[in-house]
Amino acid sequence: MLSLIARREFTEFCRDGRLFWTGGIILLLLLTALAVNWQHQRTADAERLAAQTLDYDDWVNQEARHPHDAAHQGMHVFKPQSALSMLDPGIVPYVGSTLWLQAHRQSEVKFRPAQDATGLQRFGNLSPAWVIQMLGPLLVIILGFNAFAGEREQGTLRQTLSLGISPYQLLWGKALALAIGLGLLLLPTLLFAMGMIVFTMSGNAMVDALWRTLWLGLGYSVYLGIAIFVVLAVSAKTATSRMALAILLGVWIVTTMIAPRAISDASRIWHPNPTRYEFTASLDNDLGNETRKAWMENFGSDQRWGSEVGIDQWGKALEVDDKAGYKALDHQFHKLWDTFDSQQRVQEWAGFVVPLLAIRSFSMGVAGTDFANHRDFSVAAENHRRIMQDKVSHDLVEHADGHGDHHFDYKSTREFWATFPKFTYALPDRKFALAHNTLSLAILVIVLLAAMVLAHRAVMPRKA
Amino acid sequence: MKSALFGKVFLHELRVLIADRTLLLVGSLLVALVLYGFYNGYQETLQREHAAQELAKKQADKHAENITTLRALLGGEQKPDPFANPFDPASVGGGMEMRYATLPTLALSPLAFGQSDMLPNYYKVTDRSKASFMYDTEIENPWNLLSGHFDITFVLVYLFPLIIFALSYNLLTVEREQGTLRMLLSQPLSLAILVAGKLLVRALPVLLIMAVLPLLLLGVLRPQLFQADQLPAVLGWLGLVLAYGGFWFALALLVNIIGRSSATNALALMAAWVLFVLVIPVVLNIVVGLLSPAPSRIELATKTRLITIEGLNRYHDKLSSDYRFTQDPEVLLPRDGKIEVAPRRQAQFLIQRDVDKEIQRVLNEFSTQLAVQQMLVERFGWISPAIVTYEGMAAIAGNGAARYLEFQQQVDRFHERWKEYFEPRLLNSIAMTEQDYAEMPHFEWAEVPVQVSGILKRLLLLVIPALIVIAFAIRRMRRFSVV
Amino acid sequence: MLKTIQLDKHFGSHQALKAISIDVKPGEIYCLLGANGAGKTTLINLFLNFLQPTGGQVLVNGRDVQQYPLESKRDIAYIPELVMLYGVLSGLENLEYFAALATGEKLPRDKLLSLLQGAGLDATAADRRVSTYSKGMRQKVGIAIAMAKNAKALLLDEPTSGLDPKAANEFSQLLTKAKDSGVAVLTTTHDLFHAKQTGTRIGIMRRGELLTELNSADVSHSELESLYLQYMEA
Repeated sequence: MLSLIARREFTEFCRDGRLFWTGGIILLLLLTALAVNWQHQRTADAERLAAQTLDYDDWVNQEARHPHDAAHQGMHVFKPQSALSMLDPGIVPYVGSTLWLQAHRQSEVKFRPAQDATGLQRFGNLSPAWVIQMLGPLLVIILGFNAFAGEREQGTLRQTLSLGISPYQLLWGKALALAIGLGLLLLPTLLFAMGMIVFTMSGNAMVDALWRTLWLGLGYSVYLGIAIFVVLAVSAKTATSRMALAILLGVWIVTTMIAPRAISDASRIWHPNPTRYEFTASLDNDLGNETRKAWMENFGSDQRWGSEVGIDQWGKALEVDDKAGYKALDHQFHKLWDTFDSQQRVQEWAGFVVPLLAIRSFSMGVAGTDFANHRDFSVAAENHRRIMQDKVSHDLVEHADGHGDHHFDYKSTREFWATFPKFTYALPDRKFALAHNTLSLAILVIVLLAAMVLAHRAVMPRKA
Repeated sequence: MKSALFGKVFLHELRVLIADRTLLLVGSLLVALVLYGFYNGYQETLQREHAAQELAKKQADKHAENITTLRALLGGEQKPDPFANPFDPASVGGGMEMRYATLPTLALSPLAFGQSDMLPNYYKVTDRSKASFMYDTEIENPWNLLSGHFDITFVLVYLFPLIIFALSYNLLTVEREQGTLRMLLSQPLSLAILVAGKLLVRALPVLLIMAVLPLLLLGVLRPQLFQADQLPAVLGWLGLVLAYGGFWFALALLVNIIGRSSATNALALMAAWVLFVLVIPVVLNIVVGLLSPAPSRIELATKTRLITIEGLNRYHDKLSSDYRFTQDPEVLLPRDGKIEVAPRRQAQFLIQRDVDKEIQRVLNEFSTQLAVQQMLVERFGWISPAIVTYEGMAAIAGNGAARYLEFQQQVDRFHERWKEYFEPRLLNSIAMTEQDYAEMPHFEWAEVPVQVSGILKRLLLLVIPALIVIAFAIRRMRRFSVV
Repeated sequence: MLKTIQLDKHFGSHQALKAISIDVKPGEIYCLLGANGAGKTTLINLFLNFLQPTGGQVLVNGRDVQQYPLESKRDIAYIPELVMLYGVLSGLENLEYFAALATGEKLPRDKLLSLLQGAGLDATAADRRVSTYSKGMRQKVGIAIAMAKNAKALLLDEPTSGLDPKAANEFSQLLTKAKDSGVAVLTTTHDLFHAKQTGTRIGIMRRGELLTELNSADVSHSELESLYLQYMEA
């Protein structure tokens, strides 16, 4: 019975061209986005790997020099891109990808792709995720707004129900038809992506990426399921299909266009993040305080390079500065990142009303392109910098500080450079992603259940 | 007679829209959206202006402190800090004195965030390499960058068309569906006058709110709006709102003339909106990126590092010579206008100078590439009025990509001047005097005036499509069927 | 006053009107009888220039309606089967608007009220929203609009269908009054009784053709009925 209803419904939107045209355009956008992103990611990845290797080779092979100068040369670390960024690049265009690990100070990850793009970038980033998140619900509306309202106008609804079909069967039949229509878009995209993963990756990484793709498929199914049941509920509740269309378009505009921005700005009002000026000022302040305190403790004076602390304690002083700095840096950066986190949390909770926000969070989380992943990289990179830094200071304390006034005579050699570890960073695996995104998935599932209940109530017999 | 009839249609429509509360509802919704958008933009502008003030103060304080230290050292009341020595050009140029090069906000800044949430509106210029400050970005949650901001431009570009649709998607079709169209057109009244009256009554209030309300708020909060040089920007804003709104009204008109039912009209207008506002811009963004791909930042990073290595080798001797102040504290004080600049610090300056010189070619590639992309956007942007309006808004608000690029270039030139000022002193060990402090270069932002021709071009790109749509609608009007 | 010459109208391959020539003179009430789809409403639409003729001419007061669309509409008043008005406005406001469109001037309130009263609308209803009106009440506002216009010709499309007998009777009286003041009236109807009662001339149409024209004074009611049925069955 269900399949009968679904088949009739499906034939209808195939016949009148709605599925072909709107669905076709959306599928075209999806596959284009996927192909462009994939190609882009492939070249970037190859280049990154080459540069990272070159970078370490240069480090190990550098000539004999004072370790502090070597630390100024530093090492570059490049953020690896998640394989699934071809499906959802998430925040990647808006965060940097390169970090120059140098002496003295932690810095932000530099070079945001969006900086190398025009203002158009701010209209959005064409990706499969963007297409499904924004246009998916619109397609559901176009296919489904007259599911009940249209039949009521034609009188076929009475006819069908008079045959003894339960309205719930009708509801699920129509839902099934819509789901098949959407599946025709979602499935090819996922399969295409999986195909690329299988062809270009191997081993654990491939398995991980495939799992992530499946999880993404699940998340988007739930998201589109919400759209299906909301559309059917509204269509069943409204007297005319015109009214249903107006209401649904209104809901779509509010939940995909207005709310994400309004809530994003509201989250900034609620959890304000500092401007660069404020951040730098307060970091400078903390660094100053911490180092002064550390100097008092270690040298009994905060007078730099005065009579108490001479050049023969340069290495020691560096070490003290660094150690004191770590605390201030950790404090400030984590405070900033926690603020970002709280801002995002606000948006996730808003997912109850605006499912787009929940799926966006879930999708970029699972794709490994969210802020948690970026933060994980930033921390790893900073830890690597500290390892280098500590080795340099330690070497100076051990060897150069003994030279008295001839501190900069001291040179380290390749044996020392070779003791520095390579920066080997792999993005966290899917367990990390899932652990960070249970909330958004839970929200999506709850909203889906609520939408189902809503739809059931809307088709309750007396209304037919 | 014609104008009298027009007036009657106008007043009647007004009465109907007021009576069925459409105007009140849509009008107050628009007012609310404009107010929220303005609030966000205004807060952001205030924050930036506050930061600029703080930076100027910090710079002045530091300067005063340096002068005080300088005098105290000359009077022998204090001993010099080897790494913060006001006589030493290496210390002074390298951070004891710095210039916060700030991009000022314009009067219309609250209307559009533009690129201001991503690109920094100030740089701390010292004699260190560009790589040390030019790659900085504004701190903002990337999630929020992805969402975009709820500013006046968002209200105008995205939501204003929807407001227009809500008012006019069924302008004629509803009259046909209700049957009043027959009643109307059995009177000596032409369709053109009827439609014109109906359109105008809807266009006037919303255009007025959209165009004038932000200006009123700006006028109250930002008196600099009334300066004569702001006139092009203000007129540009009015022109953009009218032309962009006009385009969407023209489209609504066409759809009403062609469309058979209100539901098809609504779908057709939404389709146009999705196409022009959502799809074309993101697709064009991708196309522009494919046509003129960004050079590799990785290459830039690698290049920078290689030049640094070369520098470390080239200036190996200078780097290896030790600081002498430990044995001879007197070297920290000027003698006959000279002061010993430590060779290590000269080397550090030279390495950074070389880095700047060498990476310039790569950096130029980036600016060329961005300029090419921008040119492509200008060339193809006309296919979507949303793009034209968005870019135009960012430009008149002073937050567009072009102004930021110009800012970077001016900072770049200033950075060169700063280094040129210090280089001979640093390499020839010339001590800094109080006189020098007064003569050090200052960053003066040379405003790029809002280009009237640029605004006019944008307006044309909006008005021409609108006129084409109207012309098409008028042609179709002859075939319009009342029954 | 209302005249067609060899009027043809095709909708694609379907011929809705075939060589119709009628001429309604001032002071006449011409009733068009015919089944659904006979082309009566098409004829009215052609007089209003809502449709363009395929062949022949439509003249109002001697002017071709296609050449003079606005001038010709100044001379006619049109009352459809269902007078549609703006529901959110009162009857008086609707009248004010349409009268102003028709005459180009704004009529004072007491004039509007007397027009509504003349059309038989209860004075207390004048300021109520039209959405609360019955069909008959709307019809009366339609008549008031026509009267305000001081039209030389009236076009009526099934004006009495759906009215109760009393309202229909009142309506007939109004038509007679108009006729007496020299207005040309063209009305379509299914109602033979009404046609015989108020019409001065009667035309019978079938499938786009005008089969016959007769003076209503020349036939009795029963003669008309048998004639009509005869034509319909032929």
